[in-house]
Amino acid sequence: MAGQSDSTMSLFSSEEIEFMAEDEMTEIVPNLRMDSLNFICGDYGPFLPQLAAQVPLWLALALKKRGKCTIRLPQWMSVENLTRVLEAERDSHAFQPLPFHYIEISRLLFDHAREDIPDMYMVRSLVEDIRDVRFHKVETNLEKFTASTVTWKNMSAMEVNVIRAFAGRALQAFYKHDNEQQTPDTDRALDKQPQIPTDRPKRNLKPR
Amino acid sequence: MENYNEIDDILAEEEFVPVVFQKAINGVKIDESTEKGYIEQGSKTELPFWLARELHMRQAASISVPACFNQKTRLEIQADAACVDLRSRCPYFYEFGSKLAPLCDKTIGLLLPYAFRIRYKEILHKAHTIAFAAASKFPTLLTTEETSLYEAAQSSMAAFKKWRAGGPRLQRASILGRKRKPAE
Repeated sequence: MAGQSDSTMSLFSSEEIEFMAEDEMTEIVPNLRMDSLNFICGDYGPFLPQLAAQVPLWLALALKKRGKCTIRLPQWMSVENLTRVLEAERDSHAFQPLPFHYIEISRLLFDHAREDIPDMYMVRSLVEDIRDVRFHKVETNLEKFTASTVTWKNMSAMEVNVIRAFAGRALQAFYKHDNEQQTPDTDRALDKQPQIPTDRPKRNLKPR
Repeated sequence: MENYNEIDDILAEEEFVPVVFQKAINGVKIDESTEKGYIEQGSKTELPFWLARELHMRQAASISVPACFNQKTRLEIQADAACVDLRSRCPYFYEFGSKLAPLCDKTIGLLLPYAFRIRYKEILHKAHTIAFAAASKFPTLLTTEETSLYEAAQSSMAAFKKWRAGGPRLQRASILGRKRKPAE
């Protein structure tokens, strides 16, 4: 992807970020009886009909696709919470706390569990709005930054990833220019070093 | 020498700079048409930067300011840095400028960050917001360093949009789509 021409700045693709997001825990309500599942990442279950269980998102989606469970919408994805977050995002310069993978989780749920989301269209447009407001905020922040310290709290994985290549390169460029501006003399001294041997005899010659 | 193997660095040093020879040099010609087999003191020519720098270090030549950093360009940059076509002037404006600054004119060192800061904002907005077709004119103004920034932003934005639009997560191997022929 973007980083390919430059090996020093490796990038995650959006699919990779999505893959990582699938490790987030979600609550499901299974509709089948099943013994517990033992994976390297942990043991999940046993599953009993109508009893909620905590599983990683990837497992929840796999069960969902087979029609073995319904996914409980995470707390933060309720319409009330999203409305509140959107208002707060619009009002303040800071990023509101949202799950680190909120973009990916919401997209996965919209794609695969739409019948489990009450007010699907409302939730979807709220998430989109929040994302747009935050992206705009990221841009205004980027506009301000220079080679000095940068502190942005609560940015999400996807937001970071979208600007990763750009911000990395920009910071490098800023760093380069700032250093040159501050220390042109040391650069010059370095450049001149090979010249010293040829320089000396000449000075000795002049007085004669 | 830390960038010895970097192609951009090599290309940046290929830019020509005007030089004035401070010494007479035997055995070389700067102009094929001349009869003389030497260079007179005070003669002017244009040399690639890598050669000019070596001559400058040995005090055989002095470097003057090349066209891409002349007064006219500076005024244009001060007027509106974002609209100046730096690529046609010098595709390695920043790289070249930072190498040149200590050798001929230190004020170039101040011009570079000033120009970059303003152009950076422009790149930031254009790269992240404008649709691809509409932005076709802007990238032609950018230097090589700026282009890499611009493209980095565009391609990560494009990748994100592609992901969000969705599509088949698993790609089907072409062989799977075929119908099996009945064995005979």
